[in-house]
Amino acid sequence: MGKILKYSLVNLLRSRVVLAYTVCLFAITTALFALESDPSKALVSLSQVVLNVVPLVCLLFTAIQYYNSLEFTELLVVQPLRRRTILLGQLLAQWVAVSFAYLVGVVLPLSVFSPGANSVMLSASGVLLGAIGVSLGFLIALANRDKARGIGVAILLWLVFVVVYDGLLLLALLLLADYPIEPWVVPLASLNPIDLARIQVMLRIDLAAMLGYTGAVYKQFFGSLGGLLYTFGLLLVWLVWPAWVALRLFLKKDF
Amino acid sequence: MIRVEGLSKRYGKLWALRGVSCSFRPGEVTALIGPNGSGKTTLIKSILGAVRPTEGKLWLGDTPIGTDPAYRARLGYMPQIGRYPDNLTIGQLLDMMQDLRGQPTGGCDDRLVSVLGIDRQLGKKLGALSGGTRQKVSAILAFRFRPEVLILDEPTAGLDPVSAESILEAVGQAVAAGVAVVITSHIMNEVEAVANRVTYLAEGRLLFSETAADLQARTQETRLSAAIAHYAKACHG
Repeated sequence: MGKILKYSLVNLLRSRVVLAYTVCLFAITTALFALESDPSKALVSLSQVVLNVVPLVCLLFTAIQYYNSLEFTELLVVQPLRRRTILLGQLLAQWVAVSFAYLVGVVLPLSVFSPGANSVMLSASGVLLGAIGVSLGFLIALANRDKARGIGVAILLWLVFVVVYDGLLLLALLLLADYPIEPWVVPLASLNPIDLARIQVMLRIDLAAMLGYTGAVYKQFFGSLGGLLYTFGLLLVWLVWPAWVALRLFLKKDF
Repeated sequence: MIRVEGLSKRYGKLWALRGVSCSFRPGEVTALIGPNGSGKTTLIKSILGAVRPTEGKLWLGDTPIGTDPAYRARLGYMPQIGRYPDNLTIGQLLDMMQDLRGQPTGGCDDRLVSVLGIDRQLGKKLGALSGGTRQKVSAILAFRFRPEVLILDEPTAGLDPVSAESILEAVGQAVAAGVAVVITSHIMNEVEAVANRVTYLAEGRLLFSETAADLQARTQETRLSAAIAHYAKACHG
């Protein structure tokens, strides 16, 4: 696996997308802190970027990268290498690449401009969301032979996570306001990794008041240490299951 | 050397292969022939483990071809269209494949590198290569690791005559050394020149697998291509 990781990583870094992504993240982070005199406000703006843009970029970059390096993969599967080794090597390379970009582009300037617990939370969430995007990107690319379709599905999934899901959840909360729905709020939010990360970050930055009634439920549950562990446990589940399904698909795939 | 038993492969509703049984012997060149879409490439890819059979079994010697990839160290494969990472140079690709396979290279392949004139182009990026040069790179990779089985999918289509001849010569040397060679080709002169055995697929089924001499004797045709056409017609009956 080490060799596949090495060659995939070299291939990734040669493509310059990782470099451009790193530079963009770094520019956004430093610009937000330079323009905003109140670091906590800058942190809020940054969290919007991180929670929305990072998953999208990682999802799309991974799917496109998979399609573009398909010929390389075809070459690898007829060599005396395990398919498991090939896929895990490529997955790991992608994880390393996007995490590296995030560490340099966001975590590094954050630790200079705004060291503290909130920044740690944002950093951890961002790294995890990026990695989840990579896992899901592989899954989508493997489930769709056609490149255009795969990329379409990736964008759609992102829209669902960022906009549609929250909208439906809000609508349900409104319509069912007369019923005792509090027990459902937490499990429903758990189905969306971006929501999970968003809730944790917002609670830290203390924007929960803005969330109103559900915010109170969130604060009670997610604000505790148990809630923190619950969030990161679920994010890890979101990291592992798409990768696991992608691996199953890859093992059965006909090239 | 390679044994295929009752191999079937289904893609959705389409059966690419149906109950194909055949074998490829050491020291023999088997020409795998059949119309387009008859399942030749699916058969080859099943041997390579790139396609997972729906039914049936394959062996390399006594080793069943399954999920253990070690057997592929004994195979050399030249694809119909070799596609490689664009941003690598030929030299980097050759080094990488050696590193990934962890096998020593053989003497005759280095000869092929110079015979095909690739030794002067090691610094060229793969993305900038012409189709023919790509094919030469594919040929070098197939012969490079002293394979016991060589699988060549349309090896000379699109190559200049001199390079094509060099590859056929290398095939001859490999066979003399006891390698089992499987070759698909639509160029009948080439089949006639190198093949000892003809395995014919049609619509995913094995029509026949006969030695060249048997075919010629049975059909009373002196030209192998005529004998194949004659026999295939008779089998379709």
